[in-house]
Amino acid sequence: MDFVIGIGNTLRRDDGVAARVIASLPPVPNVAALAVHQLTPELTLRLCDASRVLFVDAHCHDHEIALQRIAPAPAPVGSVHALSQQDLLGLTVELCGRAPHGWVLSIPGYDFEFGETLSDRTHAHLDAAIEAVVQWMRRQGGEVKMQGGRNEEAS
Amino acid sequence: MKREIRIDPVTRIEGHAKITIYLDEKGKVEDAHFHVPELRGFEAFCVGRTLWEMPSLTARICGICPISHILASAKAGDAVLAVRVPETATLLRRLMNLGQIVQSHALSFFYLSAPDLLLGWDSDPAARNVFGLWEKDPDLTRRAIRLRSFGQQIIERLGGKRIHPAWAVPGGVNQPLTSDDHHWIAENLPEAIDTIRFTLDLFKSSFVNTEMQGVLGEFPSLYMGLVAADGTWEHYSGGLRIVDQDGKILADQLDPAHYPDVIGEASEAWSYLKFPYYKPLGYPQGMYRVGPLGRINVCDRFGTPLADAELEEFRSHGSPSGRVLDYHYARLIEILAALERIERLLKDERILGTRIRAEAGINALEGVGVHEAPRGTLFHHYWVDEDGVIQRVNLIVSTGQNNLAMNRTVREIASAYIKGGSLSEGILNRVEGGIRAFDPCLSCSVHAVGRMPLELELLGPDGRVLDTVTRG
Repeated sequence: MDFVIGIGNTLRRDDGVAARVIASLPPVPNVAALAVHQLTPELTLRLCDASRVLFVDAHCHDHEIALQRIAPAPAPVGSVHALSQQDLLGLTVELCGRAPHGWVLSIPGYDFEFGETLSDRTHAHLDAAIEAVVQWMRRQGGEVKMQGGRNEEAS
Repeated sequence: MKREIRIDPVTRIEGHAKITIYLDEKGKVEDAHFHVPELRGFEAFCVGRTLWEMPSLTARICGICPISHILASAKAGDAVLAVRVPETATLLRRLMNLGQIVQSHALSFFYLSAPDLLLGWDSDPAARNVFGLWEKDPDLTRRAIRLRSFGQQIIERLGGKRIHPAWAVPGGVNQPLTSDDHHWIAENLPEAIDTIRFTLDLFKSSFVNTEMQGVLGEFPSLYMGLVAADGTWEHYSGGLRIVDQDGKILADQLDPAHYPDVIGEASEAWSYLKFPYYKPLGYPQGMYRVGPLGRINVCDRFGTPLADAELEEFRSHGSPSGRVLDYHYARLIEILAALERIERLLKDERILGTRIRAEAGINALEGVGVHEAPRGTLFHHYWVDEDGVIQRVNLIVSTGQNNLAMNRTVREIASAYIKGGSLSEGILNRVEGGIRAFDPCLSCSVHAVGRMPLELELLGPDGRVLDTVTRG
């Protein structure tokens, strides 16, 4: 089983972009998609037996969509309220002896104030982000092609 | 020279707070304040919205205990509709609240407080978290994560999602329990019970009847919680019971809707958090405690065999208990009781029923919803017009009701450990640990957006800041 985990708060405008992506995904066999406000230790229980996991998150750096491979943190240090993706994979290794291969798809966000709508600039990235996630979900091997974004995969 | 110490923000709690400790000229603790600098808002901006929106709106007060607000809000809505909620819906709401108690208590104990208890008050602050706990006891950590997940799964399976499910509504709930989910809960229940019994044994062998049991202070107060008509521990309905420091019942089977008759609300200029008190004794003498310690001190029994055996042992050390550390002890016993109650609910075939909601219009212009949230008794009080539009809201949450006791706790711990004005991180952590024992949810109690940093300030007699320690 593979997982796509969208992270963010839909009441904080562009922070909710990952939840929008998750809601737009078609069903793909052996891939589960879920949206969460934040990463918590309980997610390790889902990841123990997973093959791959893609985290989708908003970022506040001024660059385009980026897909990156990530590795488990060797010494996870996050708090229970604010685990990073690497910390979560590191905790999964600690608890389960292994962790799935990890990726992060980051989508630029510009407005994180209260509100349920995306900014125009983040909304403009939505289709490309959904397409990138769908490609990742359907991928059995080989490179994920990004449209108008950066691909920093190590594969 | 008089000095003042501030801890700002207080860490590993839900929300933002700071602590100020006032020292006299000799460096002895003169007074202490637990401040909540967050701004409130929900009572104001819910005005003008409709009754049916209130469960979802007030759920947004908090990401940790939205279920508590959803249930209290739905119950207030029941009162406004003046309906009899279908039996199945009541059982499902109870199941949801028990799942919430399990997951919230597990979070509080294992993730936020166990690092202090199991790694030590003076251990490396960087390691006092769930990862440090993993290093110390991987098996316990794995069990803890699975236990909390069990509670979360109950919520998610009933409500469709873990946080802010739009499930409980005025008149009932909007989705029944499926056979598959019933089976999943029943199948995973034995492991959860095994985990909490293991943890209780660990806690008792490490802390009960040791000098550690008094590490967070002990002081008399009143205690309040809901009990069933026969005095059994209750979490969803029943009447209010208030006992004094000697266990004498001061009030019993009070209709929770009449809470203004016994609960007053004071305020202080230095905190946004209200100071509820027991009216007949006045302010601040009417200090009372709610939550796990409050409930365990007011009930006659749990009504389930394993929890009742633990209650008997708990009371053998003195009852009612005024020890702050016993909040954790009581919290663990309540997890066990909640799990036993879940087991009992699953055996009731009515829980798989499909009549789950009573439909009605506005039949009363005022309604009160009360139940026991993990942190204590929660009151939602709404006034509506003929169209169900909210005219006024009053929320009295658990953390506020423990406000006087939390201030007293800070003063007790600071007096015991701060000598001659000298400070150490371990002392500050004990002060914070006293607050953490109450598991305060400041986002709820001031109805604000929660943040979680900590600050400590040292002030001179003229109010000048001599030193500040900031974390987070």
